[in-house]
Amino acid sequence: MSERLAMRTPAETPPKRRTRPRRIDADWIRRNGVYVALVLLLAINVVFTDNFVSEGTLRLQLIQVVPVLIVAIGMALVIGTEGIDLSVGAVMAIAAALIPLYIGYGTLVAVLVAVLAGAISGLLAGTLVGRVGVQPIIATLGIMVAGRGLANLFGGEIKSIRDPGIVELGSGSVLGIPYVVLIAAAVAAGAWFLVRRSTYGRRLVAIGGNKRAAELAGLPVRRVLVTTYVLCGLLAALAGVLLAARSQASDPTKLGLLMELSAITAVVLGGTPLSGGQVRIAGTVAGALLLQLITATLIFHDIPDSTAQIAQAVIVVAAVYVQLGRKKARR
Amino acid sequence: MKRTTFPRTWRLVACSAAVLGAALAGCTNPGTSEQPAGAGGNSGGDGQVVKESSGEGCTMQDYGAEKLDLSEAVVGFSQSEPDTAAFRAAETKSIREAAKETGVKKLLVTNANNELPKQIADIQNMLNQGADFLIVAPVNSDGLDPALAAAKQKGVPVLTIDRKVTNTHCDDYLAFLGSDFYEQGKRAADALNESTGGEAKVAILLGSSGNNVTEDRNAGFKDQVKAQYPGLEIVAEQTANFARDEGQAVAEQLLQSNPDITAIYAHNDEMALGAVTAVQAAGKQPGEDIKIVSIDGTRNAVQAIVDGQINAVIESNPRFGPLAFETAEKFYAGEAIPENVIISDDEYNRDNAEANLGNAF
Repeated sequence: MSERLAMRTPAETPPKRRTRPRRIDADWIRRNGVYVALVLLLAINVVFTDNFVSEGTLRLQLIQVVPVLIVAIGMALVIGTEGIDLSVGAVMAIAAALIPLYIGYGTLVAVLVAVLAGAISGLLAGTLVGRVGVQPIIATLGIMVAGRGLANLFGGEIKSIRDPGIVELGSGSVLGIPYVVLIAAAVAAGAWFLVRRSTYGRRLVAIGGNKRAAELAGLPVRRVLVTTYVLCGLLAALAGVLLAARSQASDPTKLGLLMELSAITAVVLGGTPLSGGQVRIAGTVAGALLLQLITATLIFHDIPDSTAQIAQAVIVVAAVYVQLGRKKARR
Repeated sequence: MKRTTFPRTWRLVACSAAVLGAALAGCTNPGTSEQPAGAGGNSGGDGQVVKESSGEGCTMQDYGAEKLDLSEAVVGFSQSEPDTAAFRAAETKSIREAAKETGVKKLLVTNANNELPKQIADIQNMLNQGADFLIVAPVNSDGLDPALAAAKQKGVPVLTIDRKVTNTHCDDYLAFLGSDFYEQGKRAADALNESTGGEAKVAILLGSSGNNVTEDRNAGFKDQVKAQYPGLEIVAEQTANFARDEGQAVAEQLLQSNPDITAIYAHNDEMALGAVTAVQAAGKQPGEDIKIVSIDGTRNAVQAIVDGQINAVIESNPRFGPLAFETAEKFYAGEAIPENVIISDDEYNRDNAEANLGNAF
């Protein structure tokens, strides 16, 4: 226990690394494997995939990765606290379902209401986890099921969204960069700053590393947990809004379905351990990009769905295996 | 310490739950809300017409059913998928209206939310509630056996609609009413041939894997192309799970990977509407630069034909109500019901879409 505590204190993280010789061990793979894989897959595509090297293709990957990326960043924060949030997909659907209902008050109001709903859902999850002490997987599983039902209830049938403001948000760009990409970049930068530079970030990592120790040290454990789930819900709702804006439709039954799995995969691929105590934002971004690139590669080569699913499963299992390897090495 | 915080904690849980509910339900829209995609208005539309029946007939004696007066009967309807899909909404509505029209004593309606175990439980529950006749839209072709066995034990006939089960006709179920999905695929190929002038590089947006609708709509299309239209070259086929946003995402990728694509065949309207957005995003004109054909006949898709964005839609008529109750009446009047009652589906294209917009669901 004491050894574990020492390992996980946040102050210990990167600075020492430069002085010790670089070795490619399990830990190095966990930290940097995602970048290697990303570069490798990119290189393979550049060489072997027809029509891959074009401005349109690269731009498209950046646009399509946005929802997963934003959800995964929220998920990375939650996983950093040794938690998990299964409700993100349902929260996306709730947010998207609210847009057509409130669009009559104007684009901004509709978007704000949608994002606020995500924050409230996060508040509920955070309160259950942080204050009541329900296990994260159980609390958010409940919200996932109820949330999907709520989205169906309020969203009803699939609705098209024709509001010019929403359409512009989904498909417009400034200086050639799509709004959705700019928003995702801002979210990533903000999260990086929070984790690395803010008191909140240090507390989050400390709690994830050892909750009891953080409590004994007098950290506001419950407040930090609630804040983290609120952020995650808020980001999921934002992703739902952007996805609905891009497809100009809100489908409460299907929007965001299985998003929790993609987001968790992106976080794990990015080297954030499920056991908490670390949050790797840059790795998560790379993880999401890697998932997107895998999807694109499979489509570009017209690989049938069944094969594609197996390929994705193999990649996920491999990523988890690397994580396990690291744990053993440390023991 | 924990004990003292409990009341506050629960208050917070209750509050956030209440606020969430209020935020969703509270203020309603001042009136400019968008129309639901499949807002059917009245389910008027076009009724179903039987195109052909096949298989051996099945009478009350063959089935071992007892004579029943529908006006005295409790009828159960087990829907397979959530009514958020336009097709399902129209189907459920049609059954409800036809039940009223026929004047059954009571109609029970359940929705399995696409889960087979739930559908089995739904059917068993309706049997326990005294259902005398069952209309089932199966979640899956296989696996309903426990439910069908329970119905058989109680002597309750089961009529399946829109998806056929693999069980024994006239023993486990009464008959199948539905569209010929293979034929729909063939007709989609005809429509695509017509709108492209016979020369095209085609991308296919497939429905969900392992679904018989996907398989039939794909096989029909491909067989017809192979047999009749050598100028149509299928360059890619990728699944987009019958969903609009996936249809958009996959079509966007395909337009990049195969820049010379000139036509898209989507297994349902939602994916076709996603493809329309994708083609626009690629700076091309849907319906002109890229021809688009799909299957279903939802209002949004037929409107897109009127707007020139989709070229043709093969209908899959969801209005099973009148035909289902008519079949039940015939059955109890002593007539033999054939195994397969296949309905004839319409086609929407640029010549008739505007006039027939009211038939879309």
